[in-house]
Amino acid sequence: MSNETDKHEVEDIDCIEAVNLLYAYMDGEIEDKETKAKYEHHLVHCRSCYSRMELEKALTDRIKAAAETHAPEKLQHKLRKLIDNF
Amino acid sequence: MLPDACTGSRRTVHFPEHDRSMRLDESINTGLTMLLFREHTGSYRRSDAGESVRKKQVMTDQHTKAWFGRHVEECMNSLYGLAFRLTRNAADAEDLVGDAVVKAWSALATLDDTERFRAWLFRILHNCFVSDYRKKSVRPVEIAFDELASDECEDDVSSFLVGQSDEFLQWWANPEREFANSMLGEKIIEAIDHLPDVFRITVVLVNVEGLSYDEAAEVLGVPPGTVRSRMKRGRTMLQKELWLYGKEAGLIPDKAGLKVTK
Repeated sequence: MSNETDKHEVEDIDCIEAVNLLYAYMDGEIEDKETKAKYEHHLVHCRSCYSRMELEKALTDRIKAAAETHAPEKLQHKLRKLIDNF
Repeated sequence: MLPDACTGSRRTVHFPEHDRSMRLDESINTGLTMLLFREHTGSYRRSDAGESVRKKQVMTDQHTKAWFGRHVEECMNSLYGLAFRLTRNAADAEDLVGDAVVKAWSALATLDDTERFRAWLFRILHNCFVSDYRKKSVRPVEIAFDELASDECEDDVSSFLVGQSDEFLQWWANPEREFANSMLGEKIIEAIDHLPDVFRITVVLVNVEGLSYDEAAEVLGVPPGTVRSRMKRGRTMLQKELWLYGKEAGLIPDKAGLKVTK
């Protein structure tokens, strides 16, 4: 019953619209709650868009993990000395 | 809007951790904070308010320096990571971080929201890179005209994956394949480093550093719509590069049926 209610409450969007919202959704840039709900509703019943979003997320996570960098110890030391001398 | 550190317009900075001492100082001399910053930039003139004021200035100076040092340290890895992705060179990255920190200190009075220290510092580092380091970076900037043109185009292709068949998407999304996880980190870095400057820094700011489009726009001095289109373009280029690597490494079989067209 709740599924039936959901279907009536949330307007569906097509795959083209969903693709256009994909990155904004992933980056947390959809501010409009209704638009966000429409996109999420579409994901529930569109396997292609769901798969697309999942692998984009996996790729983004992988890029983030690969690109994270640690500052060398000597740089940290140099900066501490630099700031001490300000 | 973040202040432009390079223009150097001065405002009083509000340090939440030192509310008490700042209020005390300001009750004695409302211009103290301004004077303090002028002292750091070499234009400080001795106050007439006497010894007690000068002692408090020293205290505030130490607080300010400690606050600044702590916040620089907190975002050190991000700062170095961004510098390294920009210069693609460890020595230049270290110099760039050092220059940015020096400029940030001398422009500290332009920071009007301490909550946004990181983005403010990123902006200074980016400005330093554009004005001083770009010319001597390892590779010349190579942005093709068609890339620049589509950079400003809102209707740009939104994803390499758009238009792919369901079979392909389901194959790629199958957790057992773990295509994304099977890629070597160094190949991903290589793909990022191959992106032209404007796309590389945007992808790093948003994807790696987690800045919002608005924050990234402020760092780069462009409208948020440009960040959005650069993200789309940058991601598409990255996906293509990684796809080619996946094919060469045998991670993607032909039967997956990818269409390698826009």
